[in-house]
Amino acid sequence: MKLGVFVNDYKGTVETVDRLEAEKLGLIFIQNGVFHATLKDNGKPSPLLDKSANFYVLSEDLATRGLTNADVDSRVKVVTYGDVVDLIFNDYEKLAWI
Amino acid sequence: MGTLTIGCFSSLVGSKSLDFTLKLAKTAADKGHKVNLWLSGNATILGKNHQKHLKDYSTGEKPALELLEKGVEICECEACALARGIQKPDSIPGIQWNAMHWYLAKIYSSDRVLHIGGE
Repeated sequence: MKLGVFVNDYKGTVETVDRLEAEKLGLIFIQNGVFHATLKDNGKPSPLLDKSANFYVLSEDLATRGLTNADVDSRVKVVTYGDVVDLIFNDYEKLAWI
Repeated sequence: MGTLTIGCFSSLVGSKSLDFTLKLAKTAADKGHKVNLWLSGNATILGKNHQKHLKDYSTGEKPALELLEKGVEICECEACALARGIQKPDSIPGIQWNAMHWYLAKIYSSDRVLHIGGE
Protein backbone atom coordinates (compact mmCIF):
# COMPACT_ATOMS: atom_id res chain seq x y z
CA MET A 1 0.00 0.00 0.00
CA LYS A 2 1.19 3.50 -0.84
CA LEU A 3 0.23 5.66 2.11
CA GLY A 4 0.29 9.45 2.31
CA VAL A 5 0.09 10.86 5.82
CA PHE A 6 -0.82 14.45 6.58
CA VAL A 7 1.07 15.52 9.71
CA ASN A 8 -0.62 18.63 11.10
CA ASP A 9 1.06 19.02 14.48
CA TYR A 10 4.54 18.97 15.97
CA LYS A 11 3.88 17.03 19.14
CA GLY A 12 2.55 13.53 19.59
CA THR A 13 3.05 12.37 16.04
CA VAL A 14 6.30 10.39 16.10
CA GLU A 15 4.87 7.42 18.00
CA THR A 16 1.90 7.25 15.64
CA VAL A 17 4.08 7.24 12.55
CA ASP A 18 6.24 4.51 14.11
CA ARG A 19 3.20 2.22 14.01
CA LEU A 20 2.49 2.77 10.34
CA GLU A 21 3.69 0.30 7.76
CA ALA A 22 3.47 0.90 4.04
CA GLU A 23 5.12 -0.21 0.84
CA LYS A 24 5.63 3.47 0.14
CA LEU A 25 5.22 6.11 2.82
CA GLY A 26 4.89 9.84 2.28
CA LEU A 27 4.74 12.37 5.10
CA ILE A 28 3.17 15.69 4.16
CA PHE A 29 3.84 18.36 6.76
CA ILE A 30 1.09 20.97 7.03
CA GLN A 31 -0.07 23.51 9.62
CA ASN A 32 2.13 23.23 12.74
CA GLY A 33 3.51 19.99 11.31
CA VAL A 34 5.83 22.16 9.18
CA PHE A 35 8.07 22.49 12.24
CA HIS A 36 9.16 18.88 11.67
CA ALA A 37 10.79 20.14 8.49
CA THR A 38 12.38 23.22 10.01
CA LEU A 39 13.06 23.01 13.75
CA LYS A 40 16.12 21.56 15.40
CA ASP A 41 15.26 20.52 18.94
CA ASN A 42 18.48 20.53 21.00
CA GLY A 43 20.37 20.72 17.72
CA LYS A 44 18.70 17.63 16.29
CA PRO A 45 16.20 17.52 13.42
CA SER A 46 12.84 15.88 13.96
CA PRO A 47 13.13 12.09 14.41
CA LEU A 48 10.39 11.78 11.79
CA LEU A 49 12.99 12.68 9.17
CA ASP A 50 14.90 9.49 10.02
CA LYS A 51 12.00 7.38 8.78
CA SER A 52 12.14 5.58 5.48
CA ALA A 53 9.72 7.89 3.71
CA ASN A 54 9.33 10.72 1.26
CA PHE A 55 8.87 14.09 2.93
CA TYR A 56 6.91 17.12 1.77
CA VAL A 57 6.08 20.45 3.38
CA LEU A 58 3.34 22.87 2.32
CA SER A 59 4.86 26.19 1.22
CA GLU A 60 1.84 28.28 2.25
CA ASP A 61 1.99 26.97 5.82
CA LEU A 62 5.72 27.72 5.94
CA ALA A 63 5.12 31.30 4.83
CA THR A 64 2.29 31.75 7.34
CA ARG A 65 4.80 31.00 10.10
CA GLY A 66 7.52 33.29 8.74
CA LEU A 67 9.59 30.41 7.39
CA THR A 68 11.20 30.10 3.96
CA ASN A 69 12.60 27.31 1.80
CA ALA A 70 16.01 28.06 3.30
CA ASP A 71 14.73 26.92 6.70
CA VAL A 72 13.68 23.50 5.39
CA ASP A 73 15.74 20.34 5.91
CA SER A 74 17.30 19.12 2.67
CA ARG A 75 15.39 15.81 2.91
CA VAL A 76 12.06 17.62 2.59
CA LYS A 77 10.52 18.84 -0.66
CA VAL A 78 8.56 22.10 -0.55
CA VAL A 79 5.18 21.72 -2.28
CA THR A 80 2.13 23.81 -3.14
CA TYR A 81 -1.54 22.90 -2.77
CA GLY A 82 -1.47 21.91 -6.44
CA ASP A 83 1.43 19.57 -5.79
CA VAL A 84 -0.46 18.05 -2.86
CA VAL A 85 -3.43 17.28 -5.11
CA ASP A 86 -1.07 15.59 -7.59
CA LEU A 87 0.52 13.56 -4.79
CA ILE A 88 -2.93 12.43 -3.68
CA PHE A 89 -3.97 11.20 -7.11
CA ASN A 90 -0.64 10.03 -8.52
CA ASP A 91 1.52 8.80 -5.65
CA TYR A 92 -0.55 7.68 -2.66
CA GLU A 93 -3.62 5.47 -2.89
CA LYS A 94 -4.49 5.74 0.81
CA LEU A 95 -4.44 8.86 2.97
CA ALA A 96 -4.26 9.43 6.69
CA TRP A 97 -4.47 12.50 8.92
CA ILE A 98 -2.59 12.70 12.20
CA MET B 1 -9.38 12.92 -13.48
CA GLY B 2 -10.41 11.31 -10.23
CA THR B 3 -12.81 11.77 -7.40
CA LEU B 4 -11.69 12.97 -3.99
CA THR B 5 -13.97 12.83 -0.97
CA ILE B 6 -12.95 14.82 2.08
CA GLY B 7 -14.64 14.29 5.41
CA CYS B 8 -14.03 17.16 7.79
CA PHE B 9 -15.01 16.43 11.38
CA SER B 10 -13.14 19.23 13.04
CA SER B 11 -13.08 22.90 13.47
CA LEU B 12 -15.13 26.00 13.42
CA VAL B 13 -14.77 28.68 10.77
CA GLY B 14 -11.34 30.25 11.13
CA SER B 15 -9.51 27.13 12.20
CA LYS B 16 -6.49 25.62 10.48
CA SER B 17 -8.04 22.32 9.51
CA LEU B 18 -11.17 23.80 7.97
CA ASP B 19 -9.11 26.38 6.05
CA PHE B 20 -6.89 23.57 4.76
CA THR B 21 -9.95 21.56 3.73
CA LEU B 22 -11.41 24.45 1.74
CA LYS B 23 -8.14 25.25 -0.03
CA LEU B 24 -7.44 21.61 -0.88
CA ALA B 25 -10.97 21.14 -2.21
CA LYS B 26 -10.69 24.28 -4.36
CA THR B 27 -7.31 23.28 -5.77
CA ALA B 28 -8.50 19.76 -6.61
CA ALA B 29 -11.61 21.15 -8.31
CA ASP B 30 -9.52 23.69 -10.25
CA LYS B 31 -7.42 20.79 -11.55
CA GLY B 32 -10.57 19.15 -12.89
CA HIS B 33 -11.15 16.55 -10.21
CA LYS B 34 -14.55 15.76 -8.79
CA VAL B 35 -14.65 16.72 -5.11
CA ASN B 36 -17.13 15.77 -2.40
CA LEU B 37 -17.00 17.45 0.98
CA TRP B 38 -18.71 16.01 4.03
CA LEU B 39 -19.00 18.27 7.08
CA SER B 40 -19.58 16.79 10.47
CA GLY B 41 -19.32 17.88 14.09
CA ASN B 42 -18.17 21.47 14.53
CA ALA B 43 -17.38 21.69 10.79
CA THR B 44 -21.12 22.06 10.16
CA ILE B 45 -20.78 25.69 11.20
CA LEU B 46 -19.31 26.23 7.72
CA GLY B 47 -22.79 25.76 6.29
CA LYS B 48 -24.40 28.59 8.26
CA ASN B 49 -25.58 31.45 6.06
CA HIS B 50 -25.11 35.20 6.58
CA GLN B 51 -21.57 34.89 7.93
CA LYS B 52 -20.08 38.32 8.51
CA HIS B 53 -17.02 38.79 6.31
CA LEU B 54 -14.79 40.83 8.58
CA LYS B 55 -11.49 42.23 7.35
CA ASP B 56 -8.50 40.02 8.22
CA TYR B 57 -10.81 37.36 9.63
CA SER B 58 -11.28 33.97 8.11
CA THR B 59 -14.67 33.26 6.60
CA GLY B 60 -16.35 30.09 5.49
CA GLU B 61 -19.36 31.19 3.47
CA LYS B 62 -17.52 32.84 0.58
CA PRO B 63 -15.19 29.90 -0.15
CA ALA B 64 -18.11 27.48 0.32
CA LEU B 65 -20.10 29.34 -2.34
CA GLU B 66 -17.07 29.29 -4.65
CA LEU B 67 -16.77 25.54 -4.21
CA LEU B 68 -20.45 25.04 -5.00
CA GLU B 69 -20.01 27.10 -8.19
CA LYS B 70 -17.15 24.80 -9.19
CA GLY B 71 -19.40 21.77 -8.84
CA VAL B 72 -18.09 20.56 -5.51
CA GLU B 73 -20.78 18.67 -3.64
CA ILE B 74 -20.97 19.78 -0.03
CA CYS B 75 -23.13 18.00 2.49
CA GLU B 76 -23.39 18.47 6.19
CA CYS B 77 -24.48 16.14 8.92
CA GLU B 78 -28.05 17.06 9.68
CA ALA B 79 -27.94 15.88 13.27
CA CYS B 80 -24.66 17.74 13.93
CA ALA B 81 -26.10 20.98 12.54
CA LEU B 82 -29.34 20.69 14.49
CA ALA B 83 -27.39 19.93 17.65
CA ARG B 84 -25.60 23.25 17.19
CA GLY B 85 -28.79 25.21 16.73
CA ILE B 86 -28.58 25.51 12.95
CA GLN B 87 -31.90 24.93 11.23
CA LYS B 88 -32.12 24.05 7.56
CA PRO B 89 -33.48 27.51 6.56
CA ASP B 90 -30.28 28.96 8.11
CA SER B 91 -27.98 27.01 5.82
CA ILE B 92 -26.18 28.21 2.70
CA PRO B 93 -28.28 27.42 -0.39
CA GLY B 94 -26.79 24.54 -2.32
CA ILE B 95 -25.28 22.79 0.66
CA GLN B 96 -26.98 19.45 1.14
CA TRP B 97 -28.19 18.04 4.43
CA ASN B 98 -28.08 14.33 5.02
CA ALA B 99 -26.92 11.55 7.33
CA MET B 100 -23.69 9.57 7.49
CA HIS B 101 -24.78 7.24 4.69
CA TRP B 102 -24.19 10.12 2.23
CA TYR B 103 -20.53 10.19 3.28
CA LEU B 104 -20.20 6.41 3.15
CA ALA B 105 -21.70 6.25 -0.34
CA LYS B 106 -19.27 8.93 -1.56
CA ILE B 107 -16.34 7.09 0.00
CA TYR B 108 -17.22 3.90 -1.84
CA SER B 109 -17.43 5.70 -5.18
CA SER B 110 -14.26 7.78 -4.76
CA ASP B 111 -10.70 7.22 -5.91
CA ARG B 112 -9.23 8.93 -2.87
CA VAL B 113 -10.56 9.71 0.61
CA LEU B 114 -9.12 12.07 3.19
CA HIS B 115 -10.76 11.85 6.59
CA ILE B 116 -9.85 14.78 8.81
CA GLY B 117 -10.74 13.80 12.32
CA GLY B 118 -12.12 15.86 15.15
CA GLU B 119 -10.01 17.75 17.64
